[in-house]
Amino acid sequence: MITDVFLFWFLAIVTLAAGITVVTVTNPIYSALALAMTMIGVSALFVTLGAYFLAGVQIIVYAGAVTVLFVMVVMLFDLKYEVVAFSRGKVSGALKLASGATLGGLLIGSIFLTVNGVTKAVSVGTSEKAGDTTKELSRLLFTKYVFGFEALGVLLLIIAVGAVALARSKGGTHAEH
Amino acid sequence: MSQQFLMATLILAPLIGFLINGIRYKKHSAEVAGAIATGAATISFIVSVLFMVQLVGSEPENRRIAVSFFDWINVGALKIPAGFVVDQISGIMILVVTGVGSLIHLFSIGYMHHDKGVAKYFAFLNLFLFNMLLLVLGDSLPVMFVGWEGVGLCSYLLIGFWFTDQAKAAAGMKAFVTNRIGDAAFILGMFVLFLTFGTLHFHELNHLMPASPALSWLSPLTLGTLLLFIGATGKSAQIPLYVWLPDAMAGPTPVSALIHAATMVTAGVYMIVRMNPVFLMAPNTMEVIAIIGGLTAVMAASIGLTQWDIKKVLAYSTVSQLGYMFLACGVGAFGAALFHLMTHAFFKALMFLGSGSVIHSMHEEQDIRKMGGLKKYMPITHITFLLGWLAIIGMPPFAGFFSKDDILWMAFHSPRGHILLWVMGFAGALMTAFYMTRLMALTFWGQSRVDKKIHPHESPALMTIPLVVLGLLSVIGGWIGIPHVIGSILPGEPSNILEAWLEPVLQQVPGLEHGDPSQEWMLMGVSVLFAALSAAVAYNFYVKNPERPKALANALGGFYRLVADKYRVDEGYFALLIQPLVKGSQGLWFYVDVNVIDKATFVVADVVRGGGNFVKTLQNGNIQRYALYVAMGIVISLTYILLR
Amino acid sequence: MPNIDSAVSSAAPNMVLLTDTIPVGIGLTHYLVLSAILFVLGMIGVLLRRNAIVMLMSIELMLNAVNLSFVAFSHFLGLIDGQIMVFFVMTIAAAEAAVGLAILVSIFKRYREVNIRFFEHLRG
Repeated sequence: MITDVFLFWFLAIVTLAAGITVVTVTNPIYSALALAMTMIGVSALFVTLGAYFLAGVQIIVYAGAVTVLFVMVVMLFDLKYEVVAFSRGKVSGALKLASGATLGGLLIGSIFLTVNGVTKAVSVGTSEKAGDTTKELSRLLFTKYVFGFEALGVLLLIIAVGAVALARSKGGTHAEH
Repeated sequence: MSQQFLMATLILAPLIGFLINGIRYKKHSAEVAGAIATGAATISFIVSVLFMVQLVGSEPENRRIAVSFFDWINVGALKIPAGFVVDQISGIMILVVTGVGSLIHLFSIGYMHHDKGVAKYFAFLNLFLFNMLLLVLGDSLPVMFVGWEGVGLCSYLLIGFWFTDQAKAAAGMKAFVTNRIGDAAFILGMFVLFLTFGTLHFHELNHLMPASPALSWLSPLTLGTLLLFIGATGKSAQIPLYVWLPDAMAGPTPVSALIHAATMVTAGVYMIVRMNPVFLMAPNTMEVIAIIGGLTAVMAASIGLTQWDIKKVLAYSTVSQLGYMFLACGVGAFGAALFHLMTHAFFKALMFLGSGSVIHSMHEEQDIRKMGGLKKYMPITHITFLLGWLAIIGMPPFAGFFSKDDILWMAFHSPRGHILLWVMGFAGALMTAFYMTRLMALTFWGQSRVDKKIHPHESPALMTIPLVVLGLLSVIGGWIGIPHVIGSILPGEPSNILEAWLEPVLQQVPGLEHGDPSQEWMLMGVSVLFAALSAAVAYNFYVKNPERPKALANALGGFYRLVADKYRVDEGYFALLIQPLVKGSQGLWFYVDVNVIDKATFVVADVVRGGGNFVKTLQNGNIQRYALYVAMGIVISLTYILLR
Repeated sequence: MPNIDSAVSSAAPNMVLLTDTIPVGIGLTHYLVLSAILFVLGMIGVLLRRNAIVMLMSIELMLNAVNLSFVAFSHFLGLIDGQIMVFFVMTIAAAEAAVGLAILVSIFKRYREVNIRFFEHLRG
């Protein structure tokens, strides 16, 4: 029991710290690396929640592919000078912070109002093997959500073609291909 | 032939003539257009004769042919069918209108021979005839009002016929606008009568009258009849709305003869005679009518003394004679008014046509100072004009004597009459004799002052035939109304045919007693004698001693100039009514329309533009700003949901 | 979750665990609050950072937070559908990141800048 608590809090703090780093540091490379850390933290949280397959996918896809993509792009741009990290305007900046904070407060408040202390999980304590969830996941994916699954495939095809097409152009808003 | 068919023919023949000539309005042939128009008018005349024959053949109580064609207005309590009635009064009117009208159509063929717009002219003339028949035959006030408005329209179209001349077009507008003021009062009068009595049919109104007269100035009967009378002053050119008639002489002369002498201007008199029981029960209104009639008679006659345009003299004479007709109505002598209407139609139309003949042969010259001695060149015109002159100055046995004397006698004798009214009528008669003799003298008699380049000649037959017919009527026309005092001494004892004819439809003035024959003889003798004396003086002034009138005019100086300037009434109206209206309108335009209303629209436009500019600033291209808007939207909606 | 508790209690049967006396457990609320905070962080990053790449990264952060809340719900309500959702979201997020970066590359090639303050062309 206490391990769950400890594990959760540790992972939570790590993820939060990494998240804050993403948003606040000036160097985009550091942001990218912090993003990777956040994703690993989230993956670990997935494990504590029993979603083993998803944890794996998170590492492979997110931390592995997406973050690397980001890093490659940052390096491609070779951005050296980032004098000011944040947008101009003190008033709008304060307004943005305030709305962000308000939204956070509202969300947390609504969480506390609606979730009636579901502390005892239905499935905490029951032993699950990693294979069980994966089997269940795949079964559902190919029966109930097969349409979405296929659509995703088409989408990925389009994305691939589109990304290549974009990358081939000379750039700019009115560029010819 | 059924009554409906006859009535339809009577009314629609001129309308069809209008349509045919209207479609071919660009044609130049006066003979064809004139034939169509005169033919239509003659058809109407024949039908009128047929109707009158029917009426003469019926019993005196049954002399009423009523035809209704369709339901025109049917709204709540107001039910007005398109109904027309020929009875004793309208029978006389349709004979006069179509008979004199046909003669004038014939005359116009010769007069308008060289005019380019002759088909249009005949179309308008036929349209006028149609509307006049609607007016005279209508059996209710609204149907009459349709004709009333229609003749006003035709008057405008025909006065401003040569509209390329600014002054003539303006004269047309003046006639129409002045008429409209009267018409507004007419409509208000209709409202009052409908509200009080619930009906607008003549037959029903005449029978719904209370037994005792309405004595208060504010009673609805007095107000209604007063308003109707104001409408009549507009149409029949009485004070204060007479100012359009002299200007209306800008139209072609046959138009002046038909519309502004014989028919349209008599519409007001006809209306009052038609509703005589109603007016009899409003003695205050009748007093007003009599006084205004008398004043108009005197005033117009005085202006006629000073005019130099042949048509203007006749115009003021018309206004004056109309005053006599209203004077008769005002004292309760409705029969006399109708009688004078008829005889006046004959001799005034005759004189207008005669003046048209003179103008035509003098190559459009209208100033009588440039005429003179025309009797050798235009014998037929001269003889017929002479007959008209004798009629209008009231010489027996010509038509005008009987009708005018009837009026003067009733002005003196009727319980609603007054000695002063007789004096006004008498003064007017004296002046009428004077200025008409002056006109004759300066135009036909004496030395010729005609310009050497103009060779006056007699007019063609198309123009002289109507003159002859009307001349004949001016002689014998009065013989249907021979008063008893004269009839009793003549061989064969002719009775007063007209009085007997009209007796079933005209109510007597309450309290009218038999007159003393000797009083009647005395008044008659006095008026005839003094009229003859007045004519003799005028003859002396203008034929024998031409320098005397000039000396008199110089002696009177300022007063003469005032009268010659028509008492500056037009200028007075302009300064007191028209200028303030125009200035007021201009002020309203500038201060209200431009400054307030236009500014308000500009302000609205500016506000919208300002609002748009402000909203424009929200879209500054900064995507983070847009994301902020999204975030704020989420916050607000979440707050709303949570707080609910 | 490997049963460490049973291992500990079998190893030291007399040890009184703190968690037996103090009823503190990690519930749905904790995960959801964490998810909310991550989400807000991501949103602030989108609103405040000027670098377009960092903005995209912040968007990824927001998506991760949502994934976390999905999985938390799936776990605590016993429905596996939440994990399916995560599946989809992850795919879409990856695809979107790819396209976004491709566009950024395209823009960078033309303007040599990724600071969004230079890209305010679509103004009113």
